[in-house]
Parts: sequence; C-alpha cells; structure tokens
Amino acid sequence: MYEKDFLKQLFHKIYTIRIFETECIKLYRQGLIRGYFHPYVGEEATAVGVCSALAEDDYIISTHRGHGHCIARGAQIDRMVAELLGKKTGYCSGLGGSMHIADVQAGNLGANGIVGGGIPIGVGAALGISIRKEKKVVAIFFSDGAANNGVFAESLNLAAIWNLPAIFLLENNHYAVSTPIEQSSRNQNLYERATGYGVHALAVDGNNVIEVFEQTKDARQMCIKGKGPVLIEAKTYRHGGHHVNDPGAYMPKDRLDYFKSKDPVTIAKKHLKEQGKMSESEIEKIEKEVETTMERAIDFAKESPELSFAEFNQMVMGY
Amino acid sequence: MKLIQILDENGKYKADDLADIKEQEIRKMYRLMILTRLWNDKAMSLQRQGRLGTLASVRGQEASNVGMALALQAGDWFVPAFREYGSLFTLGISMKNQYRYWGGDERGNYIPEDKRVLPTCITVGAHLCHAAGMAVAAKTRGEKSMILSSSGDGSTSQGDFHESLNLAGLWKLPVVFVIQNNHWAISVPVEKQTATKTLAEKAAAYAIDGLRVDGNDVFAVYKTVKERADIARNEFKPALIELVTYRMGDHTTADDATRYRKPDLLKTWEKRDPIERVKKYLMKELDWSEEKDKELVEECTKEVEQAVKEYENSDMPEPETMFDYMYNEMPWHLKEQLEEVKELTQAGGKK
Repeated sequence: MYEKDFLKQLFHKIYTIRIFETECIKLYRQGLIRGYFHPYVGEEATAVGVCSALAEDDYIISTHRGHGHCIARGAQIDRMVAELLGKKTGYCSGLGGSMHIADVQAGNLGANGIVGGGIPIGVGAALGISIRKEKKVVAIFFSDGAANNGVFAESLNLAAIWNLPAIFLLENNHYAVSTPIEQSSRNQNLYERATGYGVHALAVDGNNVIEVFEQTKDARQMCIKGKGPVLIEAKTYRHGGHHVNDPGAYMPKDRLDYFKSKDPVTIAKKHLKEQGKMSESEIEKIEKEVETTMERAIDFAKESPELSFAEFNQMVMGY
Repeated sequence: MKLIQILDENGKYKADDLADIKEQEIRKMYRLMILTRLWNDKAMSLQRQGRLGTLASVRGQEASNVGMALALQAGDWFVPAFREYGSLFTLGISMKNQYRYWGGDERGNYIPEDKRVLPTCITVGAHLCHAAGMAVAAKTRGEKSMILSSSGDGSTSQGDFHESLNLAGLWKLPVVFVIQNNHWAISVPVEKQTATKTLAEKAAAYAIDGLRVDGNDVFAVYKTVKERADIARNEFKPALIELVTYRMGDHTTADDATRYRKPDLLKTWEKRDPIERVKKYLMKELDWSEEKDKELVEECTKEVEQAVKEYENSDMPEPETMFDYMYNEMPWHLKEQLEEVKELTQAGGKK
C-alpha cells in the first residue's frame, strides 16, 4: 500500500504531462511553436515512475521526446512553455526549443535531438559518479529505435565492464518514427539484449506508474551497491504519430485501442481511488489545479520577451 | 558455453568428428599453416630491417585463419579485417601482394577479379556492415552463396557489430560472423573488453546462434565454420562463431606487448600451438616423419623467399597514384594537390 500523498503526487505529475502536451499541441497548431514537437502522450507513467524513484541529486538524460522526462524531474512548466515558444524566460533562453531542454542544476543533463545520442553522455556521467565515488545514479532515457544504434551497444558494454551506476531506461513505444519494432528487431523483447553484455535487465509495464516506480527503485539500489548497470524495458505506446505533423496512419487501430484502454492517466487515477481512497471530486480538484497552472504558464510564456539580437549574438557567438 | 574441439594440444582427437575430413584436406591445412607462419616470420624480420611497413603478426592464429577460409565454397565471399592473411593465402591471394600491402604499396590490396574476397579492412569492425550488406545483396539476387566475415574480439565492442548482427538476425541473412578471439585488442585484454564470459553468447541478443570453438584446433574451426556456412547458404540462418585463440606476437610492429603482458601467459599458449598438434596427429596417423616435415618446411621457405624476391624487385608505385581510386571525379582541391605532387616529383622531391 502506498501513502495517499505519494499517489497524489504521481497522478499530479502524470496529469501535468498530459495537459502540457495536449495544450502545447494546440499552440503548435496556432503556429506559436516552431520546429519539431514529439508528444509524450501515452507514455507519461514511465517518466513519472522512474523520476519518482530517483534521489534529488541523481541525474537524468532525456530524448527528443523529452517533455515528460523534464516535468517528471521537476521542471517548471512555465519556463518549459517559454522555451518551446522561443522566449528569453525559457530553460535555454529559447535557443534550444522542444528537443534541447536541460536543467543541469536540477540534475536534468538534457534532452538530445540525435536518436541514441544521449546514451553515451549518460554513461559518461555515470563514470564521473563512479570516479568521484558518489552515491548517485543516472537514469538514461532512450527508445526502441535508439536501441538499434551502435552507440547503444558501445554504451551498455562500457557501463557493464566498469560496473557503472546507470539505469538504462528503454522506453519501448513500439515505433521508430514509422518503423514498427517487428521490422527492426528479430527479438522484440529488447531487454533480452542485455544478456549479450552481462547486464541485469527486465521488462515492465510502462503504462503502470507503480510498477515502473518499484522496478526503478530496485535498480537504483543495485546501482548504489555497485551492482549496476541495470536495463529496464518499459513497454508502452504512443497515442499518436512520431511528431505533431505525423498522423500515425500506419498504427493499427486495434493495437492503439488496446494501449489507449491502458491509458497511464486512467491507471494512475485508479491507484488514487482504490489505494489512496480519494473521491472523484477530490481528483477533479487536482485536475482543475493542473489545468489552471498550465493556463498561467502559457500566459507567462506568451507575455515573455524574445532575446534581443545583441543577446542572441552574445549567447551563441560569445560577442 | 561448450567449447567445440576435435584435436587437443596433445594430438588426441575425436575420431567420429574427424571422419568427414579427408586426409588430403588435412595435409593441405598443415601446409597452409606452415606457409602462413613462415611468411609471417619472414615479414617480421623484413620489417625489423626496414624492408616492410607495419605488420600485424598472425602468429598463433594460423589454425583459425586457414580453417575458416577452407570452409568456403566457390561463390561465397570472404570479408577480412587485417589479421587474416593466412585466410587470404588459403583463398589464393598471392603472398607477394601481401608483402606489397604491408610494405605500403597500394597495389598489394588489389584483389583479382575472380576472387570473392574483399580488401583488408583496417577500421575495426567496419567491415561487419559490409558483410551484412553483401548478404542482403546475395539473398535479394537469389544467389547460392554466403558471406563470411572475420574480426577480432575488440570489434565486438563496436556499434557496427551490434547493428550488423541485429539486421542479420532480423532479415535472416546468409552470413557468418567469425570472431577471432585472440584475447587482446591492442593492449586491452578481453576480460576488460566485455562483462560477458564468452563472446559467442552475445548472439542471444539478436536471436541468432552463437558457437564457441577452439581456434587453435584447425579441424574444429574448419568443421564448424563449414557446417554453419552451409546452413547460412541454404537456410538463411546467420551465426556468430567465436574462435578462441591467442595472439602470440604484439598488436603490430608498432607495439611492444612485453609492457602489458605477463610472459607466463605466452608459455600457456605455446603449449596449445595450432601447428604442433597437427604435426603430432600426422606423425601418429598419417605416416609423417621429421624428415618429411623438414622437406615441407624447406619447400614452403622457398615459396616465401620467391615472394619476397618478387616484392622487392617490383617497381615502387608513382606518388601520383595515391590520388587514384577515391573519387570518380576528382574535386578541385585534390586536383591542385596532384599538380603539386607532380611538380615535386619532377623536381626530385625538392621545391
């Protein structure tokens, strides 16, 4: 059994990610967000489950589909919206945008636009922890597509041979852009690949926040005891296409319906009702609060200024 | 994981496993291994005298080299790294050209049109992608052929290894990846290379078969690679085969292994020499004698000496030729450099 407050916190975060994504998609459609936008809708429980099991001074490494990781790690959504809108008040002064949100102070070592690009960076951070003999871990988020990149193998191998405190968080959402997992790997249980590197690995229902939380907690303990790394494959699914402009017409309806029936928001809500003994009206209150915070965040971002040309030059060119 | 072995270091063998290897083939294997070692030792001494460039010694790996190459059929492709010249000799690549190659003469890397062998690949692991790609081509064209790639234990830590094996498994390609585990990636011992106990078990990640073979037992190498080559060719089932062998020399002539390798290790592996055990077998079973052995070594030495002569008597390539073969249409900056080289050559190297 879990504390009511804890369950409330989980739901709050999951719902915040959902509202953040759905509201920002609207801003994108209005032309306020430029560039690419890869929604995390459907995968929220993975980020929240993982980040809730981490300690304050642990690190995370995010991906191109990274808004959820940032929010789960405790990022302020007003500064995130501002970043997406290219405003000065954003996490990277509006210079990074959707795929490059970083908050090093808060232990978020950053998202990465290159598929798999964050994996070796995470291993490097874990090596740093190991050299400094700190009691910390790095949770490295990446996806099934990234697991087919050579850099996945190189990173896993080094983390294994050096016993690094890294949790490889493989978010298997079953698609690399439009390529389904069955067309990119003969063995679709990607966690079994860890055998080839002598790494402890397991699969978890990525839509169930409690399960993800529990497994990450154990993995963290293993890493702290010097028995890392660990690979966790979180099986989940995108509720839409690869990015906002991809309708995802190639995703079979029955499969999508199945995963929508296992919506992480619904599951977290169920935990809250059954274990947290929370009433419908109390939950509605949380939802309302999240929605209001998001409205304020959007207002804040819209009202924020862009960098001046001089400031832009100073930050990018150094003069 | 089980280590496949037919002939042990004392010359003891499993008769059942040896039944389908003909006497003639055994004699051929022995001869090729001796030739490879003699070529290698001669190359080492040429290098030390400044008569050759850099060399990656194959000493100790002769059984792996020869056994895997003999397992190929006409129509199959061999995709080597750089410590496979015993395989190249087995497949009919000239010893003279290998001297040229290691002597820094680009022409040494030319493969005759009728040989299905790729040139030496120095970039560790890069050619595994070539092998997978060629296997896609063979399968698409409906050819009855397979691709055999060979690389070292260090290559298994390269991303290319991962990507190649994943696609081979997924697309059921007619390819066999041989890993010559000689225990060293330059100065990194294999136990610091990977956390797994064996390299063969890495195959599990790609849902393909992994096998582990005594790489100093030429019979086991030949038989296992042949079986898996047949399966790859006929049933489109790829495999990963780890040949457990040992690099008796340095990484290359630019390396000094005494700085990181304990001499005891060499003693252990000297006892497992790939050539000695076949000699023991020949003595016991095939009417071999020290006298016949001496004759064979002399004959092979002559062949090697002849190759050295041809290598040293051939003209040096012109400096301009280094601009060939990279681009179909040379870009402007290379054209400029080519002109400069021509001027320099005409001026006798002085500007």
